Amino acid sequence: MRAAAEPQADDLILSIREVKKHYPIREGALQRVVGHVRAVDGVSFDIRRGQTVGLVGESGCGKTTLGRVIAALADPTDGGVHYSMDGAMCRIDRLEGKAARTFRRNCQMVFQDSYASLNPRHLVIDLVGRPLKVYNEAASSDLVERVVELLDQVGLGRQHLYRYPHQFSGGQRQRISIARALALNPEVIVLDEPTSALDVSVQAQILNLLNDLQKERNLAYLFVTHDLSVVRHMADRLVVMYLGKVAEAGETQAIFDSPHHPYTRELMAAKPDMEAEANVEIRGLEGTVPDPARPPQGCRFHTRCELATSACGWEVDDVVRWLEDAPGMFEHLVGVERTTEFAAELAFDTEEAAGLLSMAVRSEQVPEAMRAAMRRLNLDGTKVEIEFEDVGEVELTARDDGRMAACVLAPQEVASWKSP
Amino acid sequence: MLDAQHGAAPVASVRDLKVYFQTKRGIVHAVDGVSFDIRDGETLGLVGETGCGKSVTGRSFLRLLPVPPGIQAGGSVMFNGHAVCAACAGVGCGACGSTGRQAGRDSSVDLLGISSEDMRRIRGDRIAMIFQDPGKALNPTLPIGAQIAEVFFQHRTEELIALAGLPADTAGAIRRFASQSPRFGDGWLLALPGARAQRRQVEAALAKMVASALAETQVPNPVKLMARYPHELSGGMRQRVMIAQALACNPDLLIADEPTTALDVTVEARILELIRDLQQRRKTSVLYISHDLSLVRRISDRVAVMYAGRIVEIGATAEIFANPRHPYTRGLMAAAPSADTPRGKLAAIRGTVPELVDPPSACRFLGRCPHEAGACRSNDPALQVVAPGHSVACFIDHPAPSGERPTYDRVTA
Repeated sequence: MRAAAEPQADDLILSIREVKKHYPIREGALQRVVGHVRAVDGVSFDIRRGQTVGLVGESGCGKTTLGRVIAALADPTDGGVHYSMDGAMCRIDRLEGKAARTFRRNCQMVFQDSYASLNPRHLVIDLVGRPLKVYNEAASSDLVERVVELLDQVGLGRQHLYRYPHQFSGGQRQRISIARALALNPEVIVLDEPTSALDVSVQAQILNLLNDLQKERNLAYLFVTHDLSVVRHMADRLVVMYLGKVAEAGETQAIFDSPHHPYTRELMAAKPDMEAEANVEIRGLEGTVPDPARPPQGCRFHTRCELATSACGWEVDDVVRWLEDAPGMFEHLVGVERTTEFAAELAFDTEEAAGLLSMAVRSEQVPEAMRAAMRRLNLDGTKVEIEFEDVGEVELTARDDGRMAACVLAPQEVASWKSP
Repeated sequence: MLDAQHGAAPVASVRDLKVYFQTKRGIVHAVDGVSFDIRDGETLGLVGETGCGKSVTGRSFLRLLPVPPGIQAGGSVMFNGHAVCAACAGVGCGACGSTGRQAGRDSSVDLLGISSEDMRRIRGDRIAMIFQDPGKALNPTLPIGAQIAEVFFQHRTEELIALAGLPADTAGAIRRFASQSPRFGDGWLLALPGARAQRRQVEAALAKMVASALAETQVPNPVKLMARYPHELSGGMRQRVMIAQALACNPDLLIADEPTTALDVTVEARILELIRDLQQRRKTSVLYISHDLSLVRRISDRVAVMYAGRIVEIGATAEIFANPRHPYTRGLMAAAPSADTPRGKLAAIRGTVPELVDPPSACRFLGRCPHEAGACRSNDPALQVVAPGHSVACFIDHPAPSGERPTYDRVTA
């Protein structure tokens, strides 16, 4: 089935198909695998020649991991990244020998932390010249000239050749990283938060440089960042990730004009533009990103979503999470016996606590959507039986004008919703 | 002088502050003649790039800079703390807006000149600080509750004893316990049955005070949080703990050094809201240090823009953002990407912040400024008032001693 869905190569360079990356959690003396952190959990999108794809989300949403999988620095657990080579799409983790080398030289990466990604013991000429040496592109005096040429392109010069990374400022170090990435004339560069450690004036220099290089060389960028104003400036297409999944994808301008997913909306509301009215309301999100080892059922965002409905996948974990924060309740919980993710029997040590819980989940104390999703609630002595509606995963669905969003609500409902 | 037209007495005035650092390459003038006031109850935003001296300025308030290599080269930081409200003795009444404190009669002290003991009394009590990285600023080996308790031990011994139901003249091991100054043998003394009961009373009172401090920052279930360690908490939660710790003693001045830089945007918005809310409720003055103009615009009443150890522009937030005068301020605003900047056409400021070893007597923005003229190369512009409450250090707005001045087309917003 996957073979049939394989995209055709035209100006397509990379096609990411259902990529998953799970990291095992090991415990105990025998280091047995007790679970998996689902850092990336089924993500698909394409990168075309000369195009910039922005990948945004909060920390811990898997965007950096996905960047590493795409640059072949980590192997996906499932699914694959397909690379267009000689008119055919090949899975990069199955490439061998010459083909693997071809991919590696055509897909480069620039890392966030230029302190960590440039070897402090190497001179600039070694750092930038290393890829040329490894691929037998240049040697001796030719190498020096090639490196000078590269440095020139990123706004550095011959006088910087024999210096160490610590002698440069943050912006200059990031320029060295970019020069190194450009050395082999790649087709795609994965930029992992290339400007988040830089000042705004230096960031502007680097962004302008990246744009000039893109125009000159018809480069494709995957721009991984959490900064929406940067991504809005840089990206043609946007992929918004939340907890290992794509929440929304589409043309950058269209998404900024009308977000179809409440998470995108919240991200945009959290950091208004400089142009926006000074008194425009800023909103943050309640709570934290849930544990990616146990992602929520249904829509992964429902635990923090203000628009959540009863169809968003309320589950037993939501009740337990609510109990944790409720004063003086969690201490009385002695056991949770799940039959499914949606049905369980909560055991308390006193009848009073059990009574309190069954009262609380019927009252205003819990979100209305959660109450609406409750199918059964039985109080039996010290035990409370709870069952929620069984809801499948909320899939990414195609919307109009080539956009995708993973939300049960219609775009109009998301757009017209006002914070109470 | 700078703010003579405004009536409110400043809670702190920095005058000609100079902080240098001894390095291998020479003496770096990190802060080189900075003067500003923080008015009572206002939020002053301090913005600038990395290395412009904004954090050093902030830390000077609490004398948190290592000396050496730091050199206190001159200037003063006058702090005029609030006195306990005479009408209610700190309980909170109508006269003091239920803060229990009143803007003091003139009782200013020079924070750079007082003894270490006096500084300790002010630090954490009258002036508190929130640091950038809560992961580093919190002690990883102590639970949250114990870390906040230290503030109360240091500054609130009397209240602690009163809240524990002990007589005010309680002395000996119990008082030493409540002020965290144990002596040899206190361990045994406190183990005696009578003392043990009193100690439990103090601990219960302490737990109550810590829980209420935490509850102020809207954390769910503060009592449970007290037993947790910093690594168990998310970044936003840790920052809330830091804020609770900083505001525990209801300080007159809060120094927030990039409190949200390490956080996600969604969490950042919440923390910002929280700081603003607490500041308004308690009428605390805040020095908000940040490199992010859009944040500063949202939170502060006035903004000071720092560049290369100097303040280059200061004024009311609305005025600065509507009518920025200094080329550096204008550059910073233009450099932030916005919706309608064409791609690849961001207005970057060329070059980088100069290294401040023996700075020449010229404008420090020289070499990066698009408008520089002859006067800028031979004269150092000083901060001058150009409009009510708006001062700029640039010859564009006031002539150089030679009478010459560069020009630019002023954008009126």
